[in-house]
Amino acid sequence: MSLTENSACENKISHKAQFKNMSNVALILAELVSAALSFTLVRFMVKPYLYTGEGRYIGLPFGFTFLGASYLFMGLTFLMDSHPFVEEMKWLQLFTEAYAFAFLAVTYYFSQKEFQRSTRLWWQFIFSGLIVGMIATYFVIFEPYSPMFTLPNYDVADRYISVFDIILASYVFVYTLRSHTLNPDPKTLWAPLGYLLLAFGEYSHLIWSLDSSFSALLGAYIIRLAGLLVFLLVSYGVFNASQARKAEEGLK
Amino acid sequence: MKRLARRDIMKIYCDVLSAVKSETNNGEIVLTRVQQRTNVPFDRLKTYMSELVALGLIQSECSPQLTEKGERYLAEYEKVLDFMKRMGLAYREKI
Repeated sequence: MSLTENSACENKISHKAQFKNMSNVALILAELVSAALSFTLVRFMVKPYLYTGEGRYIGLPFGFTFLGASYLFMGLTFLMDSHPFVEEMKWLQLFTEAYAFAFLAVTYYFSQKEFQRSTRLWWQFIFSGLIVGMIATYFVIFEPYSPMFTLPNYDVADRYISVFDIILASYVFVYTLRSHTLNPDPKTLWAPLGYLLLAFGEYSHLIWSLDSSFSALLGAYIIRLAGLLVFLLVSYGVFNASQARKAEEGLK
Repeated sequence: MKRLARRDIMKIYCDVLSAVKSETNNGEIVLTRVQQRTNVPFDRLKTYMSELVALGLIQSECSPQLTEKGERYLAEYEKVLDFMKRMGLAYREKI
């Protein structure tokens, strides 16, 4: 190979490395922004529980906290590429996201029920089951060499868990759309849209994990961010618009 | 006969507060009208009133008026109900 060919090849490699670094930075940013949006939403999502005092609504802040944590873990895996705990972090992200959708689905499922004694018992049983399952899962993740448990291939598990997330997000979408059709109001259309976008984001992620296409990866991040923004707009529409109205009335 | 959904204490407090508020807007506060609006027995209404006074949400039991804290609490509660409706969460709508 001549000297000029050699330097061209080196140039190409360095360009590829630069692109990889740039896309890594973009991915970290997207994950951190998603995490920040989710954690901001927790502030609003905890209010139904605080103001009604009903335990069944605690799943909403739990869900968004875990969603934020999962995006944070994913961001950290991109950030600490060669850290010894990066594999554990990836698994942690996978399960945390699954539990986030599970908490959201359980909250919506029990929201439609008359919260009588038997329903309350079922809710307590399922909710504690989720907590115990979560703790057990984290033990498995951080004790992967235990003879009792062996984790499957990460990529395969990622696909199965993505399907699980899509099913749960779609359930919540159908549930919220049903409540909207029962009492049609343009204001109640945004929540189903938000959940639909979260489900589509997961679907796009699944497509990316199957065919590694860049457009699917980009789509997954854009759709997910749009979904979180929809929830943020709904929350600000309720809690901050009335403050602005009050301020305007005060000025008059 | 339609059955009323069970209300938790927070919902009852807010019903009492909003009844007191609308009675205040009408001028004179008559406890019997507050009782009719909130649909609770009179003895229980008196208990709730004293609890609301202790919480600093209304001024006195005999001639109740919302305090600033009570106004803020009621406004926030209504916002939370609106938020729950927008998020597609059902809450005490089945009567």
